[in-house]
Amino acid sequence: MTEAAEHEEYDVVIAGAGVNGALIAKHLTHAGFRVLVLEAGPGSAWSLDGYSRHLDHFYAAASKGPESPWPPAVAAPQPDTADIRSGAGYFVQSGPDKYGSSYTRAQGGSTLHWLGVCLRMLPEDFELRSRFGVGHDWPLRYGDLEPYYGRAEHEIGVAADVADQAHHGIEFPDGYDYPMRRIPLSFSDQVLADTIDGMRVTLEGESIALQVRSYPAGRNSVPRGAYQPVGAVDADVDRHDMITHLGERCAGNTSCTPICPIEAKYNAGKTLAQADRGKLRVLAQAVVSKVSVDPVSGMVDGIEYQRYADPASPRHTVHTARGRVYVLAAHAVENAKILLASGLGGDHSLIGKGLIDHPALYAWGLSPVPVGAYRGPLSTAGIEDLRAGAFRARHAAFRFDIGNDGWRATTGGPDSSVVDAVTKQGLHGTKLRAHLAATLPRHVRFSLAVEQLRSEANAVTIDPRHVDAMGNPRPVISYHIDDYTTGGMAAAAEVARQVFRQAGIEDCTDPEAGGWFPSVRRDGEVFRYHGMGHFGGTHVMGHRAGESVVDTHQRSWEHRNLYVVGSGSFPTMGTSNPTLTMAALALRTAEHMTEALAARQPIRQGEPSGF
Amino acid sequence: MENRIDRFVRLSALLTGFAQLHLLGTGMAETYLRATDAALPAGVLDELLAAGSPPSAGSASPGGPALPGAAARPGVSALAGGTDPEAAAGQAILGDAKLGPVARTLILLWYRGAWTALPQEWHSAYGAAPRDVDHVVSAEAYQAGLQWDAAGAHPAGARQQGYGAWASPPAALETESAPGTTAVRLPRQAGAPTVTEGARS
Ligand SMILES: Cc1cc2nc3c(=O)[nH]c(=O)nc-3n(C[C@H](O)[C@H](O)[C@H](O)COP(=O)(O)OP(=O)(O)OC[C@H]3O[C@@H](n4cnc5c(N)ncnc54)[C@H](O)[C@@H]3O)c2cc1C
Ligand code: SF4
Repeated sequence: MTEAAEHEEYDVVIAGAGVNGALIAKHLTHAGFRVLVLEAGPGSAWSLDGYSRHLDHFYAAASKGPESPWPPAVAAPQPDTADIRSGAGYFVQSGPDKYGSSYTRAQGGSTLHWLGVCLRMLPEDFELRSRFGVGHDWPLRYGDLEPYYGRAEHEIGVAADVADQAHHGIEFPDGYDYPMRRIPLSFSDQVLADTIDGMRVTLEGESIALQVRSYPAGRNSVPRGAYQPVGAVDADVDRHDMITHLGERCAGNTSCTPICPIEAKYNAGKTLAQADRGKLRVLAQAVVSKVSVDPVSGMVDGIEYQRYADPASPRHTVHTARGRVYVLAAHAVENAKILLASGLGGDHSLIGKGLIDHPALYAWGLSPVPVGAYRGPLSTAGIEDLRAGAFRARHAAFRFDIGNDGWRATTGGPDSSVVDAVTKQGLHGTKLRAHLAATLPRHVRFSLAVEQLRSEANAVTIDPRHVDAMGNPRPVISYHIDDYTTGGMAAAAEVARQVFRQAGIEDCTDPEAGGWFPSVRRDGEVFRYHGMGHFGGTHVMGHRAGESVVDTHQRSWEHRNLYVVGSGSFPTMGTSNPTLTMAALALRTAEHMTEALAARQPIRQGEPSGF
Repeated sequence: MENRIDRFVRLSALLTGFAQLHLLGTGMAETYLRATDAALPAGVLDELLAAGSPPSAGSASPGGPALPGAAARPGVSALAGGTDPEAAAGQAILGDAKLGPVARTLILLWYRGAWTALPQEWHSAYGAAPRDVDHVVSAEAYQAGLQWDAAGAHPAGARQQGYGAWASPPAALETESAPGTTAVRLPRQAGAPTVTEGARS
């Protein structure tokens, strides 16, 4: 069976309609190139009707985890955090530690359920090896990416004030500011800032002052100047402007993860809707299974994909799409999986190797005064001061996320607290109500996200014994959390205790009482951690072919008309959430592709730049 | 004669600490009554309602309003001879091996909008109904959960409080379920056009 997309000629074929794929599609169509986007999951989130069905799914879900509004299609399974405990599910975890993160395979990708924190990486994060003698340096410096960070902040629509963000060596050009004003700090942030700001902690002999600092967020607030906030997408309306007015400002729904009901939070569907749609074709329910390489030239000559009609069934047909240039933008794990399933790389290849995350600890407690928990964007501020410092020569840096969602993530509050009050404490009636009114607004939660260094032993591989319903490989994950990271965990847990003491917060951190999380040990101390959804390192970028999979334009060393994009290209991730950095890289890649395609140079293997 | 739904709401008010009017204002009373009937063996709910009603409920106030403004709650206060009706309900019901677990599940239903399955031992002793499994009653029930009101907050993903409301202190927390308590309390900052950030930020 053939279909229209097979007969058409494209300049660019992109696998994946997440933030990376969408940004590249937007820019290349506006540069005049014809782009085909193949998306594994359903496209339902692209219309308001479809999106509201996802919302209903969330309301009615018994467990309201990150994946709850986004049930996967049989043809495009995805990891689920609940699977980590059961050991079942999409990932095959071969240990020794459990990889705790998940992603979403639906059009729009993982930004459908992300939180939207948009921190830049610190200048020192790009130079870990030269400054601290650990990890790796990037082949790029902060200065190389700075202009693209600014553009990425405007593409995503980031709310923040430069005045808050210029620290740890982060510099902005004169006159620059974010497209929207910072999101107001929550009442909880303000209460904590009152007691915490200025307190000092010591790491490896270095005294560091702490401060509650506003987060840059991919979430609509009050625009600066002429910036027009981008609202919800509706593919069912007039095809020339799919962007609606809904969600032009955050309304405080307190459910950014897993679903913003009004799309005030950025998702990649917004970027895709801004492409030149005369030049764009998006095929949802099309799972890319392999890239095909011409054995003589080494060039990619087609992408094989599996099309399915019914998300509840694995029945599908197989097709091939062709273009001049190919882009894998299917997420760090899926990119590696597609390359491996295509038989590319060979024995010494780095494909799939160097998988990282931000393993994170929770700390939770009861504030002495109400902080107004369970209201507002899930997090509006953090403690950023421990992201940088000389201690990085000894152990990992870390970052505190201050939650506005009470104990939801840690124990399953408020439900768990209600159940506890009724069944364990035996309360009912006005006593019950008064007890809850006196305690729920005092719930405080920190996430302590810890840096992880690249190790080639941490890897995504495939194994013919483990396949999904379509016969595609499931990711087999080897993962170990080393001493550098557990050292950071120990320091982070200690700082959390000090902060709780300083603020008079009763420490209720008790992993046994909380949700189930995997554990890792250090010197007899057990740390329960969870993943932050920050995958990285599976197709690492570098200066030279033997030491990396892609160059600084995320262009494959071996197959010069293939780009492999996303956080898989990161040699290290510092402590910043990865999406803004990958968006900056994607914009840089799109610029490079535009020049190279426009130059119409014949594509030759081994050329350092240009096709 | 007080009808079944009235008796259900009156008992629910004693159990949850929210006024009957507030409970009716959630719009969930009938749905919960149905959900409860479906999840319990026949007759158990009526037994619970009977235990929560004064012996004279039928004759004392024939046709009388069981609702709003019914400041003098007849119900269990009569049963307990004038002591605190809530404490009386506690004695009569929550301590009971058969009715206690059902009443606790009912409290959780109102607070969470979700049914919590009764314990296995309860099933062995008193029988099981097919719908007695953990489940969110409906999308509306989730949003109507009293836990969010108790917290001075709003259900995650719904009934949002408006831009910047999170920067203000939580709404005053009413614990008094006095007559006249409004059924649906508006969040303090709803609709506030501009929000100034705290001076400390
Ligand atoms: C709970 C949670 C919270 C997060 N919060 C933040 C945050 O606050 N800040 C931040 O920076 N990051 C955050 N992240 C991470 C962020 O979501 C991801 O880094 C980002 O979305 C990755 O973008 P991507 O385009 O590489 O991949 P994705 O967004 O996953 O997109 C990949 C796309 O490719 C499609 N695809 C997959 N396989 C195939 C295939 N075989 N063929 C065709 N298409 C395919 C997928 O369906 C998807 O549409 C969070 C993640 C999680 C899980
Ligand atoms: S707080 Fe609410 S409206 Fe704002 S981004 Fe989060 S979910 Fe959307």
